[in-house]
Amino acid sequence: MSGRALKIGALTVAAVAIVFSVVLASRFGRDPGLVESPLLGQPAPTFELEMLDGSGTYDLADLKGSIVVINFFASWCLECRSEHADLVATSEAFADKNVQFVQIGYQENPASTLAYLDEAGTSPSTIYLQDEESRAAIGYGVFGIPETFFIDESGIVVGKIIGEADALILGATLDSIIAGETPGQQKTGDTQQRPDG
Amino acid sequence: MSEKSKNLAIGVVVATLAILLSSLVISQPGSGDRAQLIGASIKCPVCQGESIADSPANMAVDMMALVEQRVSEGATNQEIIDELLDSFTGAVLLDPPASGATLLLWIVPLFALILGIGVIVWWKTHPPDEPGDEVAATAPATRRRLYGGLIVIGGMALIIGAATLLIKDGSGPASGAAETGAESLTGNLDDVSNETMEAVIAANLDNAEIDGMRLALAERYFELGDYRSSFPHFLAVAQSPIATDDQATIALVRLGWMAYDGNGEVDTATELLDQALEISPDSPVALYFKGQVLWCGAGDTASASTIFEEILNQPDLPNETRIRVEADLDLAGTGAACT
Repeated sequence: MSGRALKIGALTVAAVAIVFSVVLASRFGRDPGLVESPLLGQPAPTFELEMLDGSGTYDLADLKGSIVVINFFASWCLECRSEHADLVATSEAFADKNVQFVQIGYQENPASTLAYLDEAGTSPSTIYLQDEESRAAIGYGVFGIPETFFIDESGIVVGKIIGEADALILGATLDSIIAGETPGQQKTGDTQQRPDG
Repeated sequence: MSEKSKNLAIGVVVATLAILLSSLVISQPGSGDRAQLIGASIKCPVCQGESIADSPANMAVDMMALVEQRVSEGATNQEIIDELLDSFTGAVLLDPPASGATLLLWIVPLFALILGIGVIVWWKTHPPDEPGDEVAATAPATRRRLYGGLIVIGGMALIIGAATLLIKDGSGPASGAAETGAESLTGNLDDVSNETMEAVIAANLDNAEIDGMRLALAERYFELGDYRSSFPHFLAVAQSPIATDDQATIALVRLGWMAYDGNGEVDTATELLDQALEISPDSPVALYFKGQVLWCGAGDTASASTIFEEILNQPDLPNETRIRVEADLDLAGTGAACT
């Protein structure tokens, strides 16, 4: 092989390697929270959690037979604040369709979450729970909030929304579940982690 | 290659191996604390590259507490890790498993290392072509080997890059995650349920752009004869400051008809239909419903017939509407009561 051919070959390979390295580096920055949830298609984790207002406990297993929407939220999460009115409205709109909304406070003192809900408003058809040791958040593999999970009547996780959900997306997802479809995972926006870690 | 270069090459190999071995040793938690051992292998899901054993983040602390609890309950390391993998996937493993697609991540670096050692050994065992004339021969030979080395290094980067891309595409982030934005509030609503539209409307009470969805939902209720459900939506559109003329007209027409058909209020119905006709004087729908109210509600067959004739004089009237109005005109023209 001539020296010129070697030089061209070496430079070509080096250039391709640099391009691959740049692509690789950019991909390493991607959010691991976007990995498709292994819970999809699996039985939903069940937990007995404290009611947010301290009035007792609630066992998520009791909801089997209903379509369940589980939303993880907190007062420090801006996206959660943006989607709150839509969650309330959708919960009420689907209340007589055997759909039960559950909102679980994430990484926050229950008193702070309650104060936020007093300000933002609640739905009488939604169950509000606290998760002080993050057992539910760990069980559902929450990377950041808001994250919303959809469980069908047989207790199987059939959908997940990462990021802020609006009433149209929530409703369309519920429509598809009611129709017997499995909406799967979709990303609608960014999620947040607790500001102080 | 000079003796100095050979020693340097050997030194590089030895140093590389030493670094690899020491990093392997350092990465193993030293204590016998099983929870720490497991925690050190689990990536904190809300951190950047930290294990839950090392991170002070609340989520990491809670996950460590769970690990410690499971250890105290007698669960095996693998059972605890599997429990977390069931929720988070392999994205929380600091070291990817040496199986399946991620096996390549373990094999490729090893392959690259062996290849690198091979190149250096080849370099060492292939002296310059003409030993007697070392100065003249070494320069081109060295240059060729330098290019050869570049090719090998580039090749290794290529293999590592391609392998990692393949792995990440096969099992990686968002490969199955459809990114969607919020759909238009006035887009195609055929597949949207009444409940969804109610929820969207309730969440956008201050957003006048919801008029299109309100009207579509109200029309669904209206066609089913559910006046109670359709009324608030037609009323909102009729009062909307940004509703189009067509939207306001149809809302007023429906409100007028419901006032008559639902409550028997002929005057209110006529007033609402007149408001619709002020906005859209030639609207066949508004004219037709006014004709119906005059005929059926007020028994004014003459006025009704006049209005029906006015509709039929319009060019481009849909054939279906024309047939219907002609039938009504034939009947009203005889002075018969509406049916």
